[in-house]
Amino acid sequence: MPFLLLIEDDDAIRASLELALSRQGHRVVAAASGEDGLKLLREQRPDLIVLDVMLPGIDGFEVCRRIRRTDQLPIILLTARSDDIDVVVGLESGADDYVLKPVQPRVLDARIRAVLRRGERDSSDSAAFGSIVIDRSAMTVTKNGEDLQLTPTELRLLLELSRRPGQALSRQQLLRLVWEHDYLGDSRLVDACVQRLRAKIEDVPSSPTLIRTVRGVGYRLDTPQ
Amino acid sequence: MIKEHHLDELSEPARLNGWKSRLLRLTSLRLRLVAVFAAVALTAAVSASGIAYWLNRDAVLTRAQNASLNDFRDAMSRTAGSLSLSASCTDLGEAAADIANSTQNYQVLLIDNQCTTTSQPGGFSIADVPATLRKAVEKKNPKPNDPSEYHLYWQRVNLHGQPYLVGGAKMIGGGPTGYMFKSLEAERKDLNSLAWSLGIATALALIGAALLAQAAASTVLRPVQRLGDAARRLGEGKLDTRLRVSGTDELADLSRTFNHTAERLEQRVEELSARESASRRFVADMSHELRTPLTAITAVAEVLEDEAESFDPLIAPAVRLVVSETRRLNELVENLMEVTRFDAGTAKLVSDEVDVADQVTACMDARAWLDSVELDAPRGIFVRLDPRRLDVILANLIGNALKHGGSPVRVKVRQVGEELVIEVADNGPGIPEDVLPHVFDRFYKADASRARSEGSGLGLSIALENAHIHGGGITAANRRGGGAVFTLRLPMPKEAPLEGSENE
Repeated sequence: MPFLLLIEDDDAIRASLELALSRQGHRVVAAASGEDGLKLLREQRPDLIVLDVMLPGIDGFEVCRRIRRTDQLPIILLTARSDDIDVVVGLESGADDYVLKPVQPRVLDARIRAVLRRGERDSSDSAAFGSIVIDRSAMTVTKNGEDLQLTPTELRLLLELSRRPGQALSRQQLLRLVWEHDYLGDSRLVDACVQRLRAKIEDVPSSPTLIRTVRGVGYRLDTPQ
Repeated sequence: MIKEHHLDELSEPARLNGWKSRLLRLTSLRLRLVAVFAAVALTAAVSASGIAYWLNRDAVLTRAQNASLNDFRDAMSRTAGSLSLSASCTDLGEAAADIANSTQNYQVLLIDNQCTTTSQPGGFSIADVPATLRKAVEKKNPKPNDPSEYHLYWQRVNLHGQPYLVGGAKMIGGGPTGYMFKSLEAERKDLNSLAWSLGIATALALIGAALLAQAAASTVLRPVQRLGDAARRLGEGKLDTRLRVSGTDELADLSRTFNHTAERLEQRVEELSARESASRRFVADMSHELRTPLTAITAVAEVLEDEAESFDPLIAPAVRLVVSETRRLNELVENLMEVTRFDAGTAKLVSDEVDVADQVTACMDARAWLDSVELDAPRGIFVRLDPRRLDVILANLIGNALKHGGSPVRVKVRQVGEELVIEVADNGPGIPEDVLPHVFDRFYKADASRARSEGSGLGLSIALENAHIHGGGITAANRRGGGAVFTLRLPMPKEAPLEGSENE
């Protein structure tokens, strides 16, 4: 049973989402502020966090950043509008996905399950790209022998790209493969996740040699020469 | 961006036209002023010159004429008196030379019964004397009391292209008849040079008048042009346009009125826009505020929906109603927020390169429309656009066609030049002509009985705004064979805009 932490300041939304998510078969603990949420995270170690962006005190983005300093657990943002600056900032802060308010619990549930599936092992081989070694059986990535801390989404993105080395994948393809989104997937999810992944695996993130941008198409993973 | 650019392109020839017509208008006013000034100057100069010329001409000619004729008469009576009746031709010739020998410098022709002599051989002959003059000279004086039997007559004629004064007299008592020819060439030259001077003076007066008119026109027209420029700027929406008022004349008065009007207009527009932005903010805030309770209600409504079977049969319909109405309310609030975002200009594009056929198919698949719509969309048309916004447009157009039009609904996707064209055609009754211009208006209901239709009344308006934000548009029309057709056009920029700042 997935164990979720819900951080939402509005009492009615918190109570109703708690109710709905519990009925979907999740174990839910809820916090009314970012500070409380961070405390609960340390005490209870949930599998996933559902995080409202607009919070009193430290806001959702800051909560997201603080979590990412130590933890790689999946974070789903609750946000107002898909073309808001909120989405971009949230994704840059390290969120894995977002859902729009007013959210339908079924949609949220589908996103939660999709995110949690990303951490699942799907084969048992390994691959090496330059100094990066991807161990698909242990679901770990090492760079020069050192373990890299990747979120499940980042790991899944790297796995999908590494499965087709040298082949360009469009953003929409990646949205289907990694995020399990339908045709309306937001391409900014891919861009933000690629940026974060580059920051972790590339030697010089601003001039990437592993994950290359293919103009007008999407991204591809190369073996450095 | 694209829209503004488009507008600029459109207004370029319009601006040029305006400039041309302005020039023409100003020129014509200027021209009229110059023409009036010129006419006045011309009339004055020509009448003054004309009178001066005629007076001068008369005086000059009369003086020259009198001097010659008097001299001729004296010489005639002096010489002819000493001539005997039986004088020979040689005597007559000598007499003629005698008469002509005067300061007046004329030629003399003497005629008696036998011969004709001239003072200058090869000079004038009797043929050069006009017949009327000859007749007058030969005629006897009819007045009985007059002592002179014959009179001295004269006439001005043109001989061999030169002006001459011809005078003639007959001696008393059957003496010879004498004619004199006095050249008026010197007088003509004087008069011609006078005419030239007067003509030049008239021309100068004309030029002076034109220059004066030009100056006068400028002093009037420059303020008029300034006023025109200011009025145009005001019309273009620059409401802070003001004129510098100088002087106390009518134009200054007009400028003051203009300034006053502009001030009032600016005030009024400010008031209106303040009121409008306040009401927009209100709608935006309102829909934002509505969303928080709606989020909670939506979450709970879904729980209720899942449990509907277990409710009392009397309660279940109520629950279903709450659930479905919550969904409608959600949609309405969502649309309202979308509209306020467009109004405030904060709507943004989240673009991606997509295969249009895939998007259209997926949009219809998601709504289970694939069976009721004929789709003609070749794969491989890649366009950079916001997939969510394209979905909103398509869902509205196709949904509308299915709801109000008749089956079959046809969707056709084509690339026409540098444009993506998507046509959604139905086989319904079409759109009434009086409704056609309003189909994209917000909350416009074509017929009152449809007031409570499923749509929020914002669908087509939002679809149009979504097309606009891509730099495209939607048009609605009736097909000739019946049924309505909505055509979406989106630009397809050849070079996809670069994304990110990575060096490749």
